[in-house]
Amino acid sequence: MKTILQLIRKDYKLFWSDRRAVTMTFIIPIALIIIWGAVFGNLNKGGTATKLHIAFLNNSTSPIGKKIERVLDSSKTFVLIKSYKDENGKRIPFDTSSIQNYVRKGSVSAALVIPADALSDTAFGLKLKFYYDPKNDLEMQMIDGMLQKTIMTEIPDIFMQGMKNQAVKFLGLDSGKAFNNEIAKTVGKYFKIDPKWITNPPVDSVMSMAGGSDSAKNSFFQNILQLDKVQLVGQDIANPWATRSVGGWAMMFLLFTLTATSSALFEEKKSGVVLRLLASPISRVQILWSKYLYNMSLGFIQLLILFTAGCLLYQIDIFSNFINLVLIIIAAATACTAFGMLLSSISRTAGQANGYGMFLILAMSSIGGAWFPTSFMPDFIQTISKFTIVYWSMDGILQVLWRNASIFDILPHIGILIGIAVLITSISIWQFKKGHVF
Amino acid sequence: MIKISNITKQYPTVTALDNISLTINKQEFFGLLGPNGAGKTTLMNLLVGYLNPDQGEIHIAGEKVTQDCLHTRKNIGLVPQSLALYDDLSAQDNLDIFGSFYHIEKTFLKERIKEKLESVQLYERRKDKVKTFSGGMKRRLNLIASMLHDPPILLCDEPTVGIDPQSRNAIFDYLLMLNEKGKTIVYTTHYMEEAERLCKRIAIIDFGKIIAEGTIDELIEKLPYDETILITKNQITTAKIDILKQFGSVIDENDHYQLKPNAGFQLSQFFESLEKHTISYKFVELHKPTLESYFLHLTGRRLRD
Repeated sequence: MKTILQLIRKDYKLFWSDRRAVTMTFIIPIALIIIWGAVFGNLNKGGTATKLHIAFLNNSTSPIGKKIERVLDSSKTFVLIKSYKDENGKRIPFDTSSIQNYVRKGSVSAALVIPADALSDTAFGLKLKFYYDPKNDLEMQMIDGMLQKTIMTEIPDIFMQGMKNQAVKFLGLDSGKAFNNEIAKTVGKYFKIDPKWITNPPVDSVMSMAGGSDSAKNSFFQNILQLDKVQLVGQDIANPWATRSVGGWAMMFLLFTLTATSSALFEEKKSGVVLRLLASPISRVQILWSKYLYNMSLGFIQLLILFTAGCLLYQIDIFSNFINLVLIIIAAATACTAFGMLLSSISRTAGQANGYGMFLILAMSSIGGAWFPTSFMPDFIQTISKFTIVYWSMDGILQVLWRNASIFDILPHIGILIGIAVLITSISIWQFKKGHVF
Repeated sequence: MIKISNITKQYPTVTALDNISLTINKQEFFGLLGPNGAGKTTLMNLLVGYLNPDQGEIHIAGEKVTQDCLHTRKNIGLVPQSLALYDDLSAQDNLDIFGSFYHIEKTFLKERIKEKLESVQLYERRKDKVKTFSGGMKRRLNLIASMLHDPPILLCDEPTVGIDPQSRNAIFDYLLMLNEKGKTIVYTTHYMEEAERLCKRIAIIDFGKIIAEGTIDELIEKLPYDETILITKNQITTAKIDILKQFGSVIDENDHYQLKPNAGFQLSQFFESLEKHTISYKFVELHKPTLESYFLHLTGRRLRD
């Protein structure tokens, strides 16, 4: 037993002396838990900590339309965008056409329109138009669900009033009132509720009055809220799931590959090959450029093969917008290569580079939107995500594959990725000059 | 051929080279002898332009060596101390890669690779991965990988570390042959036997300073005695060792005492004293002084301490 304990002691001693192992075991998981906690914590609160942005247009002049707008405006769940900026930077209120274009462009994932005839005298319930772009399925489900919940939770009296009005309209004032009272008695009898609550309900108690269970509420109200859903983007895509997710996974694998190949520089140094190379007519700058171009081309080939596999296995359409896909892939590979070179320049050993790489890749993938939509994350994480390579690469790939974006649409993505690459490469060169690799 | 003038190189915690000056002539087999950490590898790295000196200059064939001057490197072949090879590639592929950096015409390079592989008896194994080679084979490959551009100067930084005597001898013979054919060779080692066997002239380096320079005979000539006396360590000699201290300084080593005779030492008087004190001659060996003796004389330490 004493020997075993001594062996265990030896292993702990070795473990604590390896800073990389300690970091990988404790620091990185804690950091990732904090990031994921922020994201999942937010989801568990029903997304209420972060507001979902949707475009909104109210064409109805009815008090009900105004009330819905007021309720959504004051909602903790949604931010309503009611105008867009034209080419001159002037804000123009949406109309039925521009709000659809706004969704098509990808500025938001969904738009809610209250039509002029949202609550007509001839129809039962409330009709709303819902335009959407399911570029992110999870986000779409969240918006759809939260929208219905908000409307039905906050303004149930609309529907009660609507039902009573319908009865009065078709049966006349006296018969209508009598009918409503009879209905209230019947509902009260079977659901054990005071009929007065039904005929004259307090606004915030109607949901519980409707039976107390969520399923009862939902089935009841689903019939009176009619969301006319119109998908504006991606209707023709053969495999929406694969098309949506391929970018995120591709970026994560690319980062892992390029981190590994960049850290190979340390192996070459350790073996003495770097010394041999520099003893021949080769400069440090040439070695760095060769590494950069090699990693970039490898990244490009990897992404291309990955997308081709996606095309063959999951019918992801890569050929209808192939040139733009190639351009965004080159930009992504350039930025990821710069990231790998940065790791080499700031690390002392291959192990350290891989440790830093692992942490940064997992962090960038999670906050960059590779695993879950950035719109679910707290505002500050959403801001940080825009500084990640994963965010811009994924969004660029999605623009190309999902929205069939033109070169002008993806120019900002390409520009930002190249900008990130230039910035990171400058830092790397500065670090290499005073660093440990050479 | 190589002129090193007042070179100083400092690292954050240590001065690796301290105002070193040396001249190495064309076609010379020059040895740089010193213990581990003396500054030999740093000097090699400066010669090849891998590092820039803090002070001083190095000229090779009249051209100043710097990190930025790539031209001078065509005159040099560096045999690194480590096995600077790609283990997962074949011997042939390794040589193809390293040869390609010198812009040698493809057919010519192919011929050169064949010739070099044959010269170190590795041609038959040219397609095998380096990781399947023995230590000696790797060392030989490491050597010829530095010579594909046929440089007039070969810098060998402890090229026989960790190999068996047979492979070491093969490398020695090969280097001597190259030197005979006109190559200038700078050879670093902490094995005095290697320096004695290979080098026509040596410099002894210790703590970043050149403490002696010359041919081996010149250096040994500087010793104040003509022989080193080894006395077997046993009960008799241990009991009477103080008596022998009158003839010189006695160093207690593992299994024997080493006597470094004083100036004016007379061998006849020494043997008389042994006889007088009944110390058998069989416990005593006379040796000609070596570079090791000289290093010991200069520093009070052995080369491998």
